[in-house]
Amino acid sequence: MKYETVIGLEVHVELATESKIFCSCSAKFGAEQNDHVCPACCGMPGMLPIVNKRVVDLGMTAGMMLNCDINRTTTFDKKSYYYPDLPGSYQTTQWFAPICVNGKVKINTSKGEKFVRIKQIHMEEDAGKLVHDDWTDTSLVDYNRTSVPLIEIVSQPDLSSAEEVLAYLERLRDLLRFAKVSDCRFEQGSMRCDVNLSIRPEGSDKLGVRTEMKNMNSLSAIERAIDYEVARHIDALENHTEELVQETRRWDDVKGKSYSMRTKETAGDYRYFPDPNVMPVVIDDEWFDSIRASLPEFPEVKKAKYTEELGLSEYDADQLTQSRAYCDCFEAALAESGMAKESANWIISDCAKALNRRQETADMLKINGKALGQLIKLVSEDKVGRANAKKILDAMFEEDIDPLAYAEKNGFIVSNDTGAIEAIVKAVVEADPKSVADFKGGKEKALMALFGKCMKELKGNCNPQVLREILIDQINKA
Amino acid sequence: MTKEILLRLESENQLALDDTQRDEIIAFMDAQGVEFAKLDAIDTENTERMVHVMPILTVVREDVMIKNFTRDELQAGAPETMDGYWQVPRLVE
Repeated sequence: MKYETVIGLEVHVELATESKIFCSCSAKFGAEQNDHVCPACCGMPGMLPIVNKRVVDLGMTAGMMLNCDINRTTTFDKKSYYYPDLPGSYQTTQWFAPICVNGKVKINTSKGEKFVRIKQIHMEEDAGKLVHDDWTDTSLVDYNRTSVPLIEIVSQPDLSSAEEVLAYLERLRDLLRFAKVSDCRFEQGSMRCDVNLSIRPEGSDKLGVRTEMKNMNSLSAIERAIDYEVARHIDALENHTEELVQETRRWDDVKGKSYSMRTKETAGDYRYFPDPNVMPVVIDDEWFDSIRASLPEFPEVKKAKYTEELGLSEYDADQLTQSRAYCDCFEAALAESGMAKESANWIISDCAKALNRRQETADMLKINGKALGQLIKLVSEDKVGRANAKKILDAMFEEDIDPLAYAEKNGFIVSNDTGAIEAIVKAVVEADPKSVADFKGGKEKALMALFGKCMKELKGNCNPQVLREILIDQINKA
Repeated sequence: MTKEILLRLESENQLALDDTQRDEIIAFMDAQGVEFAKLDAIDTENTERMVHVMPILTVVREDVMIKNFTRDELQAGAPETMDGYWQVPRLVE
């Protein structure tokens, strides 16, 4: 019998805020245990949560990027869950009136385009972290992550393969990064997903037994886990190797197997009820419109503009639109320099290399785009040599500098004093008669060797074309 | 309420009830169930859900990080801590 796979995803995305959702503690990743905590996020009695406006801003932004309807009155609810990583024994989340509903996302796979429907996006707080200590046979609790703001993006069960799941997750990641909703870093847990999967005979409209794999945080692991679960379900149905039950499973990527964790809870088990400590949030027209106005162009819109209006290649446009930071920098550099191709090249080549050396990602590009445009102009006007321009770019990664002032201060301005250039070139030619003889004998490489020596003596501050002409003239005279 | 459900709640909440207490709770919850059945019978199809007893909205704050407490202050009343963690009885899923 042929089967089809039915997959729905619940994707948790950590929002790019400075502080937590209901208190002013830092929301940053990587601090010492329990350094980012206060009585509110530790669940101490008598503390009242106060909603972080930025969380609502980003929730709306995500919804608009994913074509959702925004609930203009949105409310928070308590989800009962007894575990010490939730200090209040409940999670504050949204059940009855989530901020966004009814969205859709277009994905591209080898089978073509497809829309995946978004059921809802809700705002909620993250849980803390538990470390199980074998030595003392106790559990250790770190509440730094407690109350860090999340959105959970719940899809309809519209996905039918690992390929579609990966395409959907990559699309979500690209859109949310582009809108600066989140850095969506799987490796740091700022994007993770629960995979709900079942199989059914091809053509059937009845859903099979659903299992859920929680907290998947790597695209490759998700792909392997889906392939494994599909095979396990089919084996259970065809060979009766086990009885499929609705349950939550844990994926062990090292062993390449999933294991039962617990029977799946239903909504009733969580005893959702309106949180009396958080009043409804009403989004008025002014607030709604300000978020709508702040949305970026979609990456594909920018790509079309870059290729059709600015004449960039598909490759260059693809490279730039992988990151909002790249696009912002490119557009500022272009506005200053008027040179699209040069601006693109500096970002996708030189800036990318500099980011790589600093072990940073494209989204972390923070140099001043206008200053980059000024640097590009200095190079194109032969005021600064390319080698020295790269040194100026490195300095721009450290601080916000004026490229011209920096070039003047560090002696990077190209010399127009042909007399001084001739004197240096003449000295280099006289000191290396072998290279001169080699060049005259037809060895082109010898010219490059002499050229390099001259440029080194000139500290890079010479127009290459001018230097080449003077060098050939001096060789001919030698 | 059934004895099975009550036993499960006992387990989840780490309670130890005797049979007399269980019978009392089951009788009490059954009586509540009768009252709730009356409420369930009311047609609320077109009734707006009450979110809060007072018709007030939330206030929001700006996204500014402020550190108001140290870890030591917060853990001063903790029964057990270890290396900056709260220490609790071991939990295994």
